[in-house]
Amino acid sequence: MTGGKVKGPALVSKKAFTFAHGVDPRTGSVTDLHSDLLGKNVKGAVLVYPYGKGSTTASAWFLETARLGNAPAAVVTSSVDPATVIGSVVAKVLYGIEIPVILWPEAPSRVKSGDAVEVDAGAGTIRLR
Amino acid sequence: MQLNRQEERALKGEEGRARQLAMEILTKVGDAMGADSLVPISSAHVLAHYSSLHEAGIDMLEKYRNGGGRFAVKTSVDPASVDPENWRSFGVPEEFAEKQFELSRAYEALGGTACWTCVQYQTCNIPSRGETLAWAESNAVVYANSLLGCRTNKITSGLDLACALMGLTPRYGMLLDENRVARVAFRLSVGDPSDLDYRSAGFYIGRHCGSRVPVLSGLPKSSTLDSLKHLGSAAATGGPVTMIHFVGFTPGCDSAAKATGGEKVEVIDIGRREMEEVEGELNQTDEKADLVALGVPHLSPDELRVLAGELAGRRLRRGSSMYVYTSKQAYDEATESGVRRAIEASGARLTHSTDGEISPLKEMGFRTILTNSAKLAETIMSEGEIRMRYAPLRDVIAEATS
Repeated sequence: MTGGKVKGPALVSKKAFTFAHGVDPRTGSVTDLHSDLLGKNVKGAVLVYPYGKGSTTASAWFLETARLGNAPAAVVTSSVDPATVIGSVVAKVLYGIEIPVILWPEAPSRVKSGDAVEVDAGAGTIRLR
Repeated sequence: MQLNRQEERALKGEEGRARQLAMEILTKVGDAMGADSLVPISSAHVLAHYSSLHEAGIDMLEKYRNGGGRFAVKTSVDPASVDPENWRSFGVPEEFAEKQFELSRAYEALGGTACWTCVQYQTCNIPSRGETLAWAESNAVVYANSLLGCRTNKITSGLDLACALMGLTPRYGMLLDENRVARVAFRLSVGDPSDLDYRSAGFYIGRHCGSRVPVLSGLPKSSTLDSLKHLGSAAATGGPVTMIHFVGFTPGCDSAAKATGGEKVEVIDIGRREMEEVEGELNQTDEKADLVALGVPHLSPDELRVLAGELAGRRLRRGSSMYVYTSKQAYDEATESGVRRAIEASGARLTHSTDGEISPLKEMGFRTILTNSAKLAETIMSEGEIRMRYAPLRDVIAEATS
């Protein structure tokens, strides 16, 4: 849904995900106690989750995480999470940082954490290797 | 996405750098979300609190201000990270307050109303039925879609300012009829729900609806709009909820079947067991709380009066604090009517234009917080640094006072 071509290790959550109070922008570490990724780091990962939750500030947290260089390389969701789409668009406009966001309904069941993933948002493809 | 001539001009930069930037965001987000066009809005509600927006938020607002930006429609704003009037007496670090004021000045320079509340629909930005809005703040989004007969998506930070600057929003999601149909039905089977039960029911709905729009039946006729405000807020915290068809309360919704368009959907009962499940999730400890926090979302004048009644003749125990969050309007009204004095006679403090979710409670020294707000409990515990307890108002007051 937003552009770019990246590679990274997959980091997969099976639960609703939010950056708002859920990821520490200074480190990229997941701090949401309800997240199955608690303690993991999103920096440079291809972050996969089914859908977003919670506060409308999530895109601001996403943007601050990007500003500090700790954003995921790409985000893949099962249903559209406006927070990441908007965070990704604004990160590009404000800081020139490209974080592709891709929609793939089966992603959380087809991708496992640690899989090497190649995302090409322009072509709309995800390659698992 | 189809743009009209004026939108094209703005996108080319012919109306200044700020409107160009706003149009870039609107078109990119609109395209990503599958919108076919931009539509006019009658009001915007944006976010400008430092604890969530951080430095990046200041960069964004400054960029608009330096680009000659001005909000094109009525714009209200979510609570700030500090009480602008009384922050020093709450022990907020000066450096943190200054960052908030930097953001506040940048927001007000764009022409936003200085009404810092998450219940703008009860105070300073009250739309009429049928209006299209671009509102941030998940509780207000649920309220507008569910109880005001308005249409708004949950406008997240970044898109909010772009919508306010252009007076436009991309047409997708909850602006479209087909996405407003209920796809899952919840039935409340708790007679005479407590203040906590409304919140727990909402949270349960959020946890179990997935990305489906819910309908809720079984609400007592006596349910107040304030109760539904808290229910909706908890739902939006528990999951991606932007609307609940409240049978008997949502305009035009007199049955669950009406909300689902007659389609058969999954039915989920919410009884005592489900309430206890939520209470279990939101209670992390049985330690004594050093802060009681009430008013997330902001309490209305009615709720402040009820609280004053509950606190009458009671004093906070030594070593505990109670902060009660509200809007500037309700604060001023409570000051005038004596309700504020009644609340503060107990040792509790009324504070306005901020709330516990976004103020620096850890820096203010708190470690365990007791609340009846599912939204506050969930968001603070998510950060993992402060431990939360979640209980009905009556128990909260019994424990905190003598």
